[in-house]
Amino acid sequence: MTHEAAMTRTNRATAQTIALWLAALIATTLVMFFARAELDKAHIALAYLLVVLGSSSAGGRVLGLSIAGAAFLAFNYLFLPPYYTLVIANPLDWLVLVAFLITSIVAAQLLYRANVTADTATRRAEEVDRLATLGAETLSAPDATAALVAMAVVIRDALGADSCEFFRLDNDGTVVHAAAASRLGDVEFQHTPVPADGLASWLAGRAEVAVELPDGTTRLDPSSTESLLVRALYRTLRVRSQPVGVLRVAAREGLMLSADRARLLDALAYYAALGVERVRLVATAERAEAEREVEALRSALLMAVSHDLRTPLTTIKGLAQEIARGGSSVTRAAIIEQEADRLDALVGDLLELSRIQAGAVRPAADVNTADELIGAALQRAHGPLGVHPVVVSLSDDLLAARFDFSQTLRIVVNLLENAAKYAAASSSIEVAATRDGGRLLITVADEGPGVPVGEEERIFEPFYRPAGTPPDVRGTGLGLSIARGLATAQGGTLTYRTRTGGGALFTLALPAVDLPAE
Amino acid sequence: MTGEPLTPTGTLTVLVIDDEPQIRRLVSNALTADALLGADGARTAVRVLEAATGSEGIDIAAAELPSLIILDLGLPDRSGLEVCREIRRWSSAPILVLSARHQDTEKAALLDAGADDYMTKPFSTVEFLARARARLRHARSAASAASGSAVVRLGDTTVDVQLRRVERDGTPVHLTPTEFALLCALVQHPRQTMTHRQLFGAVWGNAEGDAQQYLRVYVGHLRRKIEGDPVRPRFIQTEPGVGYRFEPDGVLPV
Repeated sequence: MTHEAAMTRTNRATAQTIALWLAALIATTLVMFFARAELDKAHIALAYLLVVLGSSSAGGRVLGLSIAGAAFLAFNYLFLPPYYTLVIANPLDWLVLVAFLITSIVAAQLLYRANVTADTATRRAEEVDRLATLGAETLSAPDATAALVAMAVVIRDALGADSCEFFRLDNDGTVVHAAAASRLGDVEFQHTPVPADGLASWLAGRAEVAVELPDGTTRLDPSSTESLLVRALYRTLRVRSQPVGVLRVAAREGLMLSADRARLLDALAYYAALGVERVRLVATAERAEAEREVEALRSALLMAVSHDLRTPLTTIKGLAQEIARGGSSVTRAAIIEQEADRLDALVGDLLELSRIQAGAVRPAADVNTADELIGAALQRAHGPLGVHPVVVSLSDDLLAARFDFSQTLRIVVNLLENAAKYAAASSSIEVAATRDGGRLLITVADEGPGVPVGEEERIFEPFYRPAGTPPDVRGTGLGLSIARGLATAQGGTLTYRTRTGGGALFTLALPAVDLPAE
Repeated sequence: MTGEPLTPTGTLTVLVIDDEPQIRRLVSNALTADALLGADGARTAVRVLEAATGSEGIDIAAAELPSLIILDLGLPDRSGLEVCREIRRWSSAPILVLSARHQDTEKAALLDAGADDYMTKPFSTVEFLARARARLRHARSAASAASGSAVVRLGDTTVDVQLRRVERDGTPVHLTPTEFALLCALVQHPRQTMTHRQLFGAVWGNAEGDAQQYLRVYVGHLRRKIEGDPVRPRFIQTEPGVGYRFEPDGVLPV
């Protein structure tokens, strides 16, 4: 049973109900009129009473009382002697008539009250139902925003509105759109960027309620929203009396809030406030977590950088002092140069990594061949590769992909250098180029120890060095972070897996290009 | 046009344009007569001029017509690229660029602007001098030598530029017209880095075209036809991000 139907029955009878019960009254009167001689006054009073009760029950208090009045007159006029007058001869008949009237009125009144109580109970049950649904939606949704959307749906349906939206008061005081449920063009509502709704932004915390009237005017904190037709209603959402956001319900055809519905909205709004607060807390927590991670990475980076920068600097400074004191300078100069090269490599890598992390790496993607990429990488890495035999396998067709040559070259050189660094001296390194669907795969495989289980992703973090790396295997510790960053910038991927039979296998995937026929 | 010295005969003039006094000092000290002239019997002395800004460098270059210019990219007043272009308008003296940034795209832009070689800081003095000598030698031979014979031997492959014929071990090798044009462009500029742009110009003229994006692919095909091992080429060398260099004698594969 809807609220509308309940209210109709208790307050106002429809024309149909009035006509029906008037007809019942007339029919009863006619039947009894023709059987007047056979009937006792008590029968007549009881028959009329039935009609009064029936009409009270079906048409409400006003109809019941009207039918009672009409029955009273008909009883007096037609059935109490002298007939066809409102005069009553027998004083006892007065008693019957008055008793009938009082019984009718009391019965109509009692029935009305019973009905109202039943309706209220039904509505309460519905409210409880909605609140339960809302509570369940709030608690069960794994994602705070999804929960909020579910709540918006419940509130929209409970109020019979077209849309329900939530705006969240952010930590810095701005109001952001949090969630929406709409019957009219969902898209329009869901992607509305804030400040889409100036009123929502303005309202948060300043007033409790604002309404937008059909004529486009706005009223703040109206004394009563009852029997006020509104186009949209705004309500500040509070948790522990602190404003957390704004709720907006709107209906194109207008919305009228009865006292019942206003109370329901109060209850729903409380849940909504909790939902909005949850979204804010989640966002804050996520931000804090991200900041914490960045912070941790930054301090780890700073520690590693200062260590790696200071070690060669210390050596250089010490040797320069020895030379100044008259020490032999030839061997010392060689060490100084070596340490300077280390510093140079580290500074270069740090710059590269910060450029990647700042998003400053803009690949100049050209159509390049696997032959040339592998060839240039072998040439550039030939020093570190030393005595490792490198086995290259190419496909019979020339393979090409779209990538920035210099950046991608760095990746492959790094993979080759790593293989040479970690694999046993003179063990062979295999490089291959293959086509896999839309991707060109460049693989570099070695016969070294591979990466410890569980560390496969950590190797791409800055300054990661596998446990037990011999101290003479030195690098900046940034190579793979840079390599992966560059691979991503090419629209490619760089992944690691342990090779069947042991050893490391790195796969660089790049967007392949189909070559036109020669 | 060439930077032939107005200074006393037997003196080689070198101009160093760098805003860092330390680097100017380092370069000037390295550029001694012994280090730079070596086999060049005609000259006996080296005169080093220094400029701290781009404008000053251009002025000195115009007044003194140095035989070699060392140019730093990070100048305070104007970009090194601009200085390079300006000097190249009226001088053919070799320009050796020094830069702290090492971006291959920058290198290509500089070579396109007329620079002859490029080194990143920090560099080793030994390599710097080797490059400076190579540039001077190249400038001399370019001035004297006309282009040699029309038949070029690349290991077991012979290329007859005039007859448009390529043979490997006596058997003809089929090259497409584009591949042949590319090979000719490279062969005609031995030991010289040709940027991608210069190769586009040599092969396709100034026309912009779809085919240009496949330049590296044509080189790939060409290598598979004339090189023994396409990933360890001896004759057509890759200058990553910049272009290609033709080595007529073939470098030993690594």
